[in-house]
Amino acid sequence: MAWLHTWAGLVTGWVMFCVFVTGTATYYRTDISQWMRPELRAAAVEPGLAAERGAAYLKVHAPKAVSWFVSVPQEDRPLIGVYWLDSFEAPIQQAMLDAETGAPTTVRATHGGDFLYRFHYELQIMPVLGRWIVGASALILLVALVSGIVTHRRIFSDFFTFRRDRSAQRGWLDAHNVTGVLALPFHLMITYTGIVTLAFTLMPWGVASAYRGDELRFFVEAGQSPAWQAATGRPAEALPLAPLMGRAQAEVSEPLEMVIVNNPGDAASTVVAVFEEPKGLAHRHPQIVFDAVSGAVINRLGTLKPAAHVFTSFLGLHEAHFAGPALRVLFFLCGVMGSATIATGHVLWSVARAPKPGTAAGFGLRLVRGLNLGTILGLPIGIAAFFLANRLLPVALDQRATWEGGVFFAAWGGAAILGLLRPHDRTWREMGTAAALLFLAIPLVSAVTTDRGFDFVGFDAAMIAIGFALAWGARKVSRYRGSARARPAAASKSLARA
Amino acid sequence: MTPSSVLLNLALSFAGLSALCLAMDRHHRAIFHGAPSRKRARALRWTGWCGIAVSFAAAIITADWNFGPVQWLGSLTGAALLVVGLVSYRPGWVRPAAVLALPLAAVAAFLA
Repeated sequence: MAWLHTWAGLVTGWVMFCVFVTGTATYYRTDISQWMRPELRAAAVEPGLAAERGAAYLKVHAPKAVSWFVSVPQEDRPLIGVYWLDSFEAPIQQAMLDAETGAPTTVRATHGGDFLYRFHYELQIMPVLGRWIVGASALILLVALVSGIVTHRRIFSDFFTFRRDRSAQRGWLDAHNVTGVLALPFHLMITYTGIVTLAFTLMPWGVASAYRGDELRFFVEAGQSPAWQAATGRPAEALPLAPLMGRAQAEVSEPLEMVIVNNPGDAASTVVAVFEEPKGLAHRHPQIVFDAVSGAVINRLGTLKPAAHVFTSFLGLHEAHFAGPALRVLFFLCGVMGSATIATGHVLWSVARAPKPGTAAGFGLRLVRGLNLGTILGLPIGIAAFFLANRLLPVALDQRATWEGGVFFAAWGGAAILGLLRPHDRTWREMGTAAALLFLAIPLVSAVTTDRGFDFVGFDAAMIAIGFALAWGARKVSRYRGSARARPAAASKSLARA
Repeated sequence: MTPSSVLLNLALSFAGLSALCLAMDRHHRAIFHGAPSRKRARALRWTGWCGIAVSFAAAIITADWNFGPVQWLGSLTGAALLVVGLVSYRPGWVRPAAVLALPLAAVAAFLA
């Protein structure tokens, strides 16, 4: 079992560390998005009116689309988002509109917190491949978690134990155990619900064989999306959206989130009002479907059948949209502990295999050490560079949002290459210090380059805290590494016990 | 699921887990210079489990069955991390902190 735990953890750890870190950041996705669009101030625009402004833009720019999606201004994004599909095969297109005027916005182009959110489950590579890698790694992580529980025979007697006065290896093992065991309910929950979230990617065959190419019908029958009404080809004048939305809002207590117009301009056009999810564990959006021409209510979606309800509850538990500020801090803390469990596990692996003084490290050890450096410190460097790029890239830059992502990968890649070339103790200290300085620079750069000063107190405080944590962690790594080499006998003895 | 309800949970979980921690020889020795007597260890263990149970009840009462269990588990994780941190870096603070947590819980219960 110990063997299984070690190797299952090692091979998936690098991917899962990235997934845990970006997922933990995603608990504050809206705050990150707000910070990354500093020009925006909350604008109070009536949702129905915003929907009409979005539809007016789409009528001019996408009259032939099969579907329009208009997201109404939210607290974290006081913009009108318009998205459209020219055909079911075509990629989705989008534009951001000013909430007050309905004209394309002049706010800096950025993916905001959505970048880290998408990275969390797609790794920002080809979506399907990314989901497969994340899903497969999560499955193996679940194996590592369960085998870890079996391997760790003294869960209760070592529950509160963190021996920092003993050997390096003891310290890393205790840190690995403490962060792993104390947040174990979270680790199991988040890994399991994460796999469930990707269930349709990992196991598409059930739905595919039962519905034979008409997968949409599955979601209709599960009560998750309204039935699709084919276009007739006859044009017809649609009713204005604002009164329809007013009628929909009178039925639902949650605020309007999105309006979908299917087959715009057609006689069979439908309008779907999508509301924010009600307070509860389950992640489901109430929807009301109207006939766009007559205004009659075609369908109301909201209550789910048991299986779909369980599925959406798992989704809700994973995303923790229900969590208020205090509980959110605890979720965030658990996410940090999950990342720390993986990181300490990896450091422990390489510390336990440190070569005797005077002998050189083998290729495998050098590779693991390099990848550890490139992941555990490389990813934070990438994230810090991503935030700095948001402030430092020119606002009018073409493809600006893509450039921000490019800076993220360039900084991370550079750090990873450096880590692979020089997988030494000194590199830990240097890169840790560099990462810490980058995070500490974020509030200052933001204050200098925008007119918001230190408006984002929570975000700035988090950056400073992360900066200090990285500086402290890097110092620990370099110190413990040193003492591990000095005491190889103690290290190999406790390895035998571990 | 107000902040004060989470604080109530955290304080109760912290007091309970501190008692459980002190009931263990190794940690008791680090704080009181000696292992606890059998009676004392048993009393501490009972206190600890009661604290955790009361914390669970408080979670269910203030955040109902929908979110209560989630909040309770989250508070246990947060409180346990605090206990481990104190026991490793400031062992002398565990007892006063656990005692202080009780009036804090009372205040939080009043607000929740």
